[in-house]
Amino acid sequence: MLRTSRDTAHFEIDPTRLDLAREFRRAPKGPHSPELRRVIHRMRWSGTGGRWCVVTVEPGVRWMLARLPDERYGEILTYPEITFTSLNDAEWHVFRIRWEALTGNALPAEMD
Amino acid sequence: MKDSSKVIGYAFPWSVAPGDEVQFHLSSDVLKSASARIVRIRCADADPRGPGMKLHHQPSPLDGEIQLASHPIHNGSYGDIPDTKGLTNLKDFSIGAWIWPTFLTGKDQVVFARGSSTAAGGWRLYINSDGCLAFEITDGTHTASLAADRPVVVREWLYVHASFSATEGKLTLTAESLHKDGGRAQHVDLSGSSSVQPNLAEVASLTFAAELSGKTAPHSPTRNHFNGKIDRPRLYGRALSGAEMRRIVDSVVPDLNDPHLIGAWDFSLDISTDAISDRSRNALHGTVRRMPMRAATGANWTGTRTNWTAAPEEYGAIHFHDDDVEDAGWPVTQSSKVPDGIRSGFYSLELTAEHDGVKTESHIPFFVRPPRGKTTADIVVIAPTATYLAYANNKSRIDQIHFEVMADGLIVLSPDDLYNHKHRELGSSVYDTHRDHSGVCYSSARRPILNQRPGAYTFNYVNDTHLLDWLEEEGFAYDVITDEDLDREGVKILKPYRVAVTMTHPEYTSKNMLDALQEYQDDGGRHMYLGGNGFYWRIAFHPTKSGLIELRRGVTGLRSWEAEAGEDCLSFTGEPSGLWRSSGRAPQRLTGVGFSAQVFDRGASYRRLPDSHLPRAAFVMEGLADDEVIGNFGLRAGGAASLEIDRADRDLGTAPEAMILATADNTGAGGIPAPEELPVLYRGFTGEESTIARADIVLTPTAEGGAVFSVGSIGWCCALSHNGYRNNVARITKNVLSRFLDPAPI
Repeated sequence: MLRTSRDTAHFEIDPTRLDLAREFRRAPKGPHSPELRRVIHRMRWSGTGGRWCVVTVEPGVRWMLARLPDERYGEILTYPEITFTSLNDAEWHVFRIRWEALTGNALPAEMD
Repeated sequence: MKDSSKVIGYAFPWSVAPGDEVQFHLSSDVLKSASARIVRIRCADADPRGPGMKLHHQPSPLDGEIQLASHPIHNGSYGDIPDTKGLTNLKDFSIGAWIWPTFLTGKDQVVFARGSSTAAGGWRLYINSDGCLAFEITDGTHTASLAADRPVVVREWLYVHASFSATEGKLTLTAESLHKDGGRAQHVDLSGSSSVQPNLAEVASLTFAAELSGKTAPHSPTRNHFNGKIDRPRLYGRALSGAEMRRIVDSVVPDLNDPHLIGAWDFSLDISTDAISDRSRNALHGTVRRMPMRAATGANWTGTRTNWTAAPEEYGAIHFHDDDVEDAGWPVTQSSKVPDGIRSGFYSLELTAEHDGVKTESHIPFFVRPPRGKTTADIVVIAPTATYLAYANNKSRIDQIHFEVMADGLIVLSPDDLYNHKHRELGSSVYDTHRDHSGVCYSSARRPILNQRPGAYTFNYVNDTHLLDWLEEEGFAYDVITDEDLDREGVKILKPYRVAVTMTHPEYTSKNMLDALQEYQDDGGRHMYLGGNGFYWRIAFHPTKSGLIELRRGVTGLRSWEAEAGEDCLSFTGEPSGLWRSSGRAPQRLTGVGFSAQVFDRGASYRRLPDSHLPRAAFVMEGLADDEVIGNFGLRAGGAASLEIDRADRDLGTAPEAMILATADNTGAGGIPAPEELPVLYRGFTGEESTIARADIVLTPTAEGGAVFSVGSIGWCCALSHNGYRNNVARITKNVLSRFLDPAPI
């Protein structure tokens, strides 16, 4: 035993802090400010908006989007039509989805 | 996307010498055949930013087309008593035991059964699909049964009892919980009449934690597996009340002169084996199959002693799981004699085919050691096969909710991970938990393992081959032995070598292995530890079975599960498990450094420290500038100090003469110390604010002119190929290896 729970994540993301989204866009792998860290920790802990991941298509070259199950042993969904040639792009794609799920606001298209 | 699982399998044994037979057990659900060849592994990492995949054909009689068939794997551990002569002429009987159910599956889970539940004379005590205790007996046509109306409480001890009297036409079912506070109380007292006349004279198997399916191979012989612990099961030749039977169950050694005592199984006997013993005069001994967890605390565990060897009478339970697996049991598809003259190294049976327009390339790895009693090089590389077994088919990234935030980034799965998730029958790693969330403590090589072979799973095996690639690039001759070779043969297998090299992540270590390395060092051997988080967990190899390890995760260490109280000693040997640090042998005592932190987001670089300018250590940094930054590059997180890193600590055993040559102590916010590094909770502990999360490069002169050189990072070897192998990580590694090969005392 020794289980962790997504429900323990409770940091509230301020939907007006688009500066943090821009900071993530600039450097998905960091280093990140303490404020941004709290945002991404909340996203990664809670899985709100989906437990997204990627599956290697070609090692070091291409990855496709996938979604882990919310329940243990559930199906892993893959999205062969959504692929990335950099892990930074994949991070940003998922960040967008989760920002909207957690704040109710979509990030502006021009941030891409 | 290249497929790698249309054909899967395992080689056995993993470690073979010239003249030995290596057997390949293969299965494919879709392919009738595949093209086969043996390859020698130089680099198993397909990432184009690195050296790339380098697999070299090793001509052998296996070259060519290999015929394939589909073979199943059956899961679920159970106990089997095949010989039930004590049951003949039985009219009335009682059964009783303590149980600790852990998971209500929504299906029947059998605690104790005789024969198949549909056969004449079959009976079973079980938890039904509603989670309620039930008892059933049949004559093949008619069935009588009783069932409680409330589900059992999981993870609580429950005394269970059932009886049947053919003479009185009566059956009973009773149960009583051990603890009764706060809603834990369970009380069952049921009886009923029955006209069923089972034929109990016929010999039939008894089973614990499953019932016979009535089917033979390739189908599973068992079904309806139980999840949880069973303690002190008893069978008695009279229909006793629940209270009468409980006295027999509770006594560890019942009255063996009682002529009605048919079976009194004591699971605290033969814990290190597969045997289960009956203390009664009938000697209805049996076997556990598919590796249930032994050395489990019973309902009578007092907590006074926490090692089963000190209080075996309190460890009369076995924890069964419906997903246990030990040996896939697949037939040998091909075997091959390892030819004389073959170079020692990492090898694989490569299988290629095409199915539905998709190319398959699958690998079945094995290791070739030098001829027994001989060496072919001055360097021996120790393949960390205990660690490969520990991580075998690791699904924690999928199952454990914290993994993405721990990894500080999106989880990157390989196609093999997807296959493993879908095919849970392949079994798990010791990072995973069973369906009942108890930890997986055994891992076997007798099954397909998809993540410790060439492929896209970039940890351990793939990382280790970066070291092989560099040795080949530099022209260093080397032999390869495995952890299990070291465990079985001890220091004598190391002694002929001038240098022993341990790889990127030799995390799991048995006492025999640690003793051998320590003795080698003490006798003047030179050890290069080119990894991170090494010599951390205390495991054991099975005393007699090859390719089988055990781990119990204790209450400290970076652990994905925690053993139940009293269950952190190894059933194989009786040794404590958990961290070597908890056994007084922190990694720092062997190598000068020990696990300090994870750094998954951004790798760090090392800076030289004053010790690196000492004359005794000058050879290490030869060719580097005084202020040269070391390893600010690498394939893993962009730095040579990355993933899992180690630090020196005099208190934990770093030797007084150890020289700390360089440190990577600026690991940023992603440098998260291991739990045992935080004796108290305080702020400011990450690598951004604290040097506790750091990697140290340490050189330790040892007795008899030997030395140990440690880099304290998994990422080190994945930086060796940077810039066409021309970089200061490679330079330092070569400086040290060249000096260590020189017999002059260090």
